[in-house]
Amino acid sequence: MSDFAGMEDLLQDFLIEAGDLLSGVDNKLVDLERTPNDTGLLNEIFRGFHTIKGGAGFLNATELVTLCHLTENLFDKLRNAELAITPDAMDVILAATGAVRDMFNELERGQQPSAADPHLISQLKLAIAGNLVGGASKPAAPAPVPAAAPKAETALVPVAPVVVHHPVGDDGIDWYALYEAVTGVSPASAGVPAAAPAAVVAAVEPSHDLDGKSADDIIKAAIGRRASDKPGYSGPTGRREVERTRDNSIRVDTSRLDQVLNLSGEIGLTKNRLNALRSDILNGRSDSETLHALDVAVSQLDLLVSDLQNAVMKTRMQPIGRLFQKYPRIARDLARSLGKDVELMLSGEETEIDKTMIEDLSDPIIHLIRNAVDHGVEPTHERLAAGKSDKSVVRLEARQEGDHIVIIVADDGRGMNAERLRAKALEKGLITDEEANTMDERQSYNLIFLPGFSTASAVSDVSGRGVGMDVVKTNIQKLNGTIDIRSTQGKGTTFIISLPLTLAILPVLVVRLAEQPFAVPLSMVREILPIEAQHVQEVGGRATMVVRGEVLPIYTLSGLLGWPQEHVAEYGVLMQTAERNYVLAIDSFAGREDAVIKSLDAFRPKGVAGVTTLSNGQIVLILDMKELLGSSADQGGTTRKALLRDRMPVAA
Amino acid sequence: MSDPKMKFLVVDDFSTMRRIVRNLLKELGYTNVDEAEDGAVALQKLQGGGFDFVVTDWNMPNMTGIELLQAIRASSALKDLPVLMITAEAKKENIIMAAQAGASGYIVKPFTAATLSEKMGKIFEKMGKAG
Repeated sequence: MSDFAGMEDLLQDFLIEAGDLLSGVDNKLVDLERTPNDTGLLNEIFRGFHTIKGGAGFLNATELVTLCHLTENLFDKLRNAELAITPDAMDVILAATGAVRDMFNELERGQQPSAADPHLISQLKLAIAGNLVGGASKPAAPAPVPAAAPKAETALVPVAPVVVHHPVGDDGIDWYALYEAVTGVSPASAGVPAAAPAAVVAAVEPSHDLDGKSADDIIKAAIGRRASDKPGYSGPTGRREVERTRDNSIRVDTSRLDQVLNLSGEIGLTKNRLNALRSDILNGRSDSETLHALDVAVSQLDLLVSDLQNAVMKTRMQPIGRLFQKYPRIARDLARSLGKDVELMLSGEETEIDKTMIEDLSDPIIHLIRNAVDHGVEPTHERLAAGKSDKSVVRLEARQEGDHIVIIVADDGRGMNAERLRAKALEKGLITDEEANTMDERQSYNLIFLPGFSTASAVSDVSGRGVGMDVVKTNIQKLNGTIDIRSTQGKGTTFIISLPLTLAILPVLVVRLAEQPFAVPLSMVREILPIEAQHVQEVGGRATMVVRGEVLPIYTLSGLLGWPQEHVAEYGVLMQTAERNYVLAIDSFAGREDAVIKSLDAFRPKGVAGVTTLSNGQIVLILDMKELLGSSADQGGTTRKALLRDRMPVAA
Repeated sequence: MSDPKMKFLVVDDFSTMRRIVRNLLKELGYTNVDEAEDGAVALQKLQGGGFDFVVTDWNMPNMTGIELLQAIRASSALKDLPVLMITAEAKKENIIMAAQAGASGYIVKPFTAATLSEKMGKIFEKMGKAG
């Protein structure tokens, strides 16, 4: 049961807004580590906790209020230069931020947050009292922890309730008595409680290491969502099912909604105009003036509809900065746990991207960042030996390029070693000797996307469990995107993710089998080539084709669909997926279309991702290639003879 | 004085909080409510005229609630506008500061519609006496 009956709306608003605020605070904390005396930053962080506290009060989230209040007090002292930031204090602050996020997660589940770790609370109190000194406090602490902690608790009680517990809002202050006291004659009335919450009692206690969290905890705490993602490509429409289970609200700038409203109004007017023209034409008017008016009205409608589509799409667009904000903190924590000094530099945060994609990108980007921090960036001594600065920079960038969004994760580390990657894949039995010998650098880099591939010889708890990179690729493909690797040895590695602007429109290639068109997602298509007999070879009883030195199996679309092959396949479409590249043999192709996917909810034939309507009104099935291949990979392969039936004499 | 058509300006940088205050005012029958996300925006709106009551948060970027209050009291056109300060602290020095700056009332988060009503009632009462 929810603890927030009747307040769900408020709770949702709070979580979204406070979540953003907390991400902002996290980032500012990372900045603060570099410029510890920046009063502006200290003020902003102070205000962040203060605002969260205020909102939490209305939700009666007492524990959250207490935690924010303590942290805020600490920042109050820091910004007033009563205290200075020490690395120990920073650890406590970061731990407190993590605890606040944990509480948000509890709220999200509809539960009142449980009390923060008493150790954290006492550490905060120590920090506020200025007694949080790693070594110095230890000898001065004869009392064991359990004895010291309750003392601190009770000492705080008279203060905390005054500040915190006001469900009824009776703050016990006689405003008018006070007003008179301040502005006029009499001394301060007795009604004013001596409220001096800053005087928090310090329980001296040995300071503990807060860095004991594992990397997974770091990430889990920072993200608070989906601990793992299963590999598995669910086709281009897969997002719909996922979307249903998630938070369905979105914050939209009212000006964008106004634009939608305006456009629909104008479309209404154009519709009226067309209605009038229709009756004119039905009544026999077909003079050039009427036809011209019709032409104008239809062109206008055309423009308005595409504007409306854009405007509606824009309502789903959110700046990617909301996602990026989480990462500097994660990168910092990871780097620290590995003893490295890494700065995550963000750029292009204002780039806008479909909200659903933002959510689905969260995990892949984390994987890439932790890969960069863990594997990409060398340990400090190696960097120094290589003549690099000890601090490394990982860049996370987003920008729009045409109708694509490009996201880049780049490190300045050691770069990838194609030779080593191939050896590793060979050793793990992921590729054959033959394949290894024919691979170029790019193909070798792509080996890291294979399931079960992990390069680190020492498996750390940060990455290197062999899951991750394949999931990254799968998830990016699920969004109809692609991922590419560039790497220079000794200089660093760059991952380039390219995504469509929206998932609502799927660019497809329309191919034909006899007269029947089918659509395949364009994101998987690398190129189209004619199938020429002299290039087709038989390897292991299967027809294959050598394309620029790469031996690719040929699957006929008819074979995959289980249709009889009536024609000789003329063309091959080179398809590229995470697991394999192959040639899809088809009769002919009709070109590229922007498909609006309609998913088949009640009835979903195997291998069909959805349907779309072509510009000529024809209904076309969009194929889910992964599913098709999975179901019939064996019978889908064809022999050279079958493929080239009628052309054998030519080849011979 | 407590006319349900009164126009309120709710000032807070946290939109959730503005919504809370707006809802509480609605509960009390006041539906004519505008919002501003900081003191600077609020002052601009107030200078446009037409507002009868200001409910403002204290701690905000750009221009704090206290600065807004001081600006209101310093303006000949706005100086008599009732201003209710909202804050998370019941600290004595805060209250004194608000009083000195000329706040009409002071309310500590979190509060209910009943508390808000009571505080507003006192302000109206006082204004009635003065006017």
